Amino acid sequence: MNAMIKVARYHLVMPVMVLGLPWATLAGVFAVNAAQGGDKAFRAGLVVIFGMFFVTGVQRIGRWLPFGLALGVSRRSFYAGTALLGVSMSLVSGLVIAGLQGIERATGGWGLSITFFRVPYLLNGPWYATWLTSFVGLSALFVYGMWYGIVNRRWGMFGLLAFIAVQVLVALAVSFAYSRSGGGALLLRPADGHPATLSALGLTGVIAALTVVCLAGGHATIRRVTV
Amino acid sequence: MTPAISATGLTRKYYDQVVLDDVHLAIGARTITGLLGRNGAGKTTLLRILGGQEFPSSGSVQVLGAAPAENEDVLRRLVLIREDQAYPDYQGYPNFKVSHALRAASFCYPNWDPDLASSLLEDFGLRANKAIKSLSRGQRSALGITTGLAARAEVTLFDEPYAGLDAVARQIFYDRLLADYADFPRTVLLSTHLIDEAAALFENVVVIDRGRVVLDTAADGLRGMATTVSGPVLAVNSFTEGRPVWERRGLGSQASVVIVGQISPEDRERARSLGLDLTPLSLQQLVVRASGGPPGAGSLTERTSA
Repeated sequence: MNAMIKVARYHLVMPVMVLGLPWATLAGVFAVNAAQGGDKAFRAGLVVIFGMFFVTGVQRIGRWLPFGLALGVSRRSFYAGTALLGVSMSLVSGLVIAGLQGIERATGGWGLSITFFRVPYLLNGPWYATWLTSFVGLSALFVYGMWYGIVNRRWGMFGLLAFIAVQVLVALAVSFAYSRSGGGALLLRPADGHPATLSALGLTGVIAALTVVCLAGGHATIRRVTV
Repeated sequence: MTPAISATGLTRKYYDQVVLDDVHLAIGARTITGLLGRNGAGKTTLLRILGGQEFPSSGSVQVLGAAPAENEDVLRRLVLIREDQAYPDYQGYPNFKVSHALRAASFCYPNWDPDLASSLLEDFGLRANKAIKSLSRGQRSALGITTGLAARAEVTLFDEPYAGLDAVARQIFYDRLLADYADFPRTVLLSTHLIDEAAALFENVVVIDRGRVVLDTAADGLRGMATTVSGPVLAVNSFTEGRPVWERRGLGSQASVVIVGQISPEDRERARSLGLDLTPLSLQQLVVRASGGPPGAGSLTERTSA
């Protein structure tokens, strides 16, 4: 545990990069949305922070691992400490998103009829559901980004392309199997703006399971990484 | 006594290229050892394996009594400073600064000495708020040396730590290393190409050539191991008769012969009476020999085992 906290502190020597950048980017996108005016149309701006968590996960491995190992940290501790940081950030950020969603509702879309922190189907329920789904989604993308960073460090661009290709094949296989089983081609096919078969919390559960898969995959991949 | 660092049958291959070939090594605790050899000899790979950053293809290494790879108990007592150390640099703002690197190191090493770090930065003229990506090669080396010394790790591995440093800064490194080593003895393994300059530091010397250890001995035993005898041909021939000879050169009536073996006081007296000059081979010259030497030269290991 000490080693994990040591790694988390290492990442936080430059807090602006890890804590500030995702929110600063989101603030910029929000400002653009606000400037465009509020027609209550969902513009998917919130997706930016999820993307930033993915990028942060990639960078925490790609840029921070070599010096971390030079400082006498094991790969296992570096991985666990970095994941701990990502999950902690997701926990807090999910709470902030839930809070901002509450303010957005209370102020009629920030007084401009903006729908920014409410995402139809996925993030549009009570605050605790928004918190949980945001937390799980942000954690998933951070850990997924870490795995990409590890694959890139271990096998380079060729490995990265192979990694992506395998995922595409798995996705196609799952989709094909689901289709063959009579469940429909798409899991989230909208019908009146709602998914056909899965609730938002159900989807959160699926993402949580995928996060565990990513965590296990990243852990297995980092064990033989060299710097 | 259990060595602080040991390797047994250590081999590292990259595809069909053998970088380390059946390396056997034992380095005593609380010593300063020079790790010497040509470019591509395998020094950096050996240090990376000792530092847990690389894995052996076969064989084993032990640091402080255990395998270092993924061993938290060993790794937190070990620091590896590499010439090509990568830092978390970013393009544009914000910058990863010298102070960030040192603060991160302070989290990781229980014996970290902030005063020593500050003092070394001052000696090297390195500002703590300077961005690492804007440092010159020598300044990056100064940062590595500062990290390596202030960590006060039980095992300190330096891989060409002073690339790009000027002569004054290198002397600062030697002086500070010795001073801090006297206060806090530790096991130091230092890889360098500036052999004669650093020779006075070494208690032991390990020479690697093409992935194999060709020399592993106490530095004191190495000093005076070979001597150049020069003077009139007849006198040189008389003096060197019956001694193992590495190299013989002549120019007119003068000759210069490198002989192996210690020179006794009686030998010195005799050389003086014959009008001969005796010049011990420097550590660098010995390492050149051990590493195969210049074309036509016999190898140290072949000669000494003869």
